[in-house]
Amino acid sequence: MAQDAPGAVGARLSPKLDEASLIRAVQRGDQDAFEQLVRAYDQSVLRLAVNLLRSQEDARDVFQEAFLRVFRSIDSFRFDCSFHTWLYRIVTNICLDYLRKRKVRKEEPAVVDTPEGPLDRMNDFEEEAAHADPERNMWNRQLGQRIEGALGGLTPRERMVFELRHYQGLRLRNIGEILGTSEEAAKNCLFRATQKMRAVLGDFQ
Amino acid sequence: MNCESVTKLIPLYFYGELPPDEEDSLEQHLETCAACARQAESQRALSAALDRRALEPSAALLAECRHDLMRAVYRQSAIVGRVGNPPPIDHRRPHKSLPAILADWLPSLGPWRMPLGASALLALGFVTARLTAPGAAGPFSLASLTPDVISSIRSVQPAHDGSQPGEVQIVLDETRRRVISGQLNDSNIQRLMLDAAHDENNPAVRWASVDLLRSHSDSSPVRELLLNRVAEDPNAGVRLKALDGLKSYTGDPEVRKVLAQVLVHDDNPGVRIAVVDALTAHADDKMVGFLQGVVGKEDDTYVRRRCMKALEDMNASAGTF
Repeated sequence: MAQDAPGAVGARLSPKLDEASLIRAVQRGDQDAFEQLVRAYDQSVLRLAVNLLRSQEDARDVFQEAFLRVFRSIDSFRFDCSFHTWLYRIVTNICLDYLRKRKVRKEEPAVVDTPEGPLDRMNDFEEEAAHADPERNMWNRQLGQRIEGALGGLTPRERMVFELRHYQGLRLRNIGEILGTSEEAAKNCLFRATQKMRAVLGDFQ
Repeated sequence: MNCESVTKLIPLYFYGELPPDEEDSLEQHLETCAACARQAESQRALSAALDRRALEPSAALLAECRHDLMRAVYRQSAIVGRVGNPPPIDHRRPHKSLPAILADWLPSLGPWRMPLGASALLALGFVTARLTAPGAAGPFSLASLTPDVISSIRSVQPAHDGSQPGEVQIVLDETRRRVISGQLNDSNIQRLMLDAAHDENNPAVRWASVDLLRSHSDSSPVRELLLNRVAEDPNAGVRLKALDGLKSYTGDPEVRKVLAQVLVHDDNPGVRIAVVDALTAHADDKMVGFLQGVVGKEDDTYVRRRCMKALEDMNASAGTF
């Protein structure tokens, strides 16, 4: 059965570097230490924002806002949870705000219709999909539209739990901790999310 | 375990979130229940489909995000200082003089003091030479001697004859992000910009440099750069930008000569069209024969039409007789 996404999340600090020392250095105002700390986590933060929001512009904004919040409020970090959890609380809160705003204003879909046919606005991203096979591309495009529709049918919280579990490979216990809820509530969220998606994507799988 | 409970547990089973005993029970159920086994397969297929839609942000996007973030952090620090009154950080320490820095280092060096001191001076001289932009960037920052500087070892070799046995010389290349501000008409700033416009690894920097410099095309080095870039730059966007900077000089014979070469040799039709427009903006009967020659050889229909239109405007025929 599926396991955690390999290397999807987690600090990429050299084992020789002590994260706590780095955080203390940032708390003393050391910007270089801050940069090192950012680099340990920024790839996974950007990946989360990109996959969740499906928009490079929004992902950039989330990235900047999240790490600036970290920079401004690192003095309040008291080591009573892992830095990863603390950081992800900030990131997921910002992302949830984005998702909720989109729900209110009916966000434009990632796949839009154009005179030349459906255009996936996310095609600028690096994807593993084969580029050379037109038939597969067509299938991928149709599937992509359905997936966007399925994901769009989730509540922001379901979407977040699903993203953190499926794409980021976080354990549900950790997801509950990040979102300020219980593991059980995270499990229920994941169940609802997968049920909804299976209902929408059934014949496409 | 019944079908209803299995249905609820399938996603957790798939994501490896079930305790071992529940996982065993569920697997036993799946072996005997075709309907639940189909649900498990549906979950697997869903996951595979979603995997194909996984996005990996490009390295360029990550680099841009990092750059923007650190700019924002530095800007914020410069304006309001760090939140929470932290103690002074290393790079804000008052800069010491070079002798003072060395005096701090040398006492702990014991018998190595003088030779190593001499080596340090040599290395510092090297670093200073590489980092200082004369006159433009202000004095060399001694902060570059702190460990926050990115260093790479260029060479390691035994020290000179006559030095202490075992002494080595290590030459470091050190780089440090710096922000240099100044007016474009400052010769030092202009020199850095001219260098940047030749940065072969970064077309964006070349483009931005040419874009800024083109307003100073009255300066002869800038004009030379623009001519060089319009003829030589591998990026069509940079070539077009350089051409734009030369528009006021399309009557200059030297500029026309270069542009004529570009019209013949440039592989980008957009650039060639822009060159036709630039060349024909200045009335010149000598252009007739040249443009007729281009019409005869040009592959691109639109460029050819543009040349023909220019010839028509000059009351000349498109072909030669």
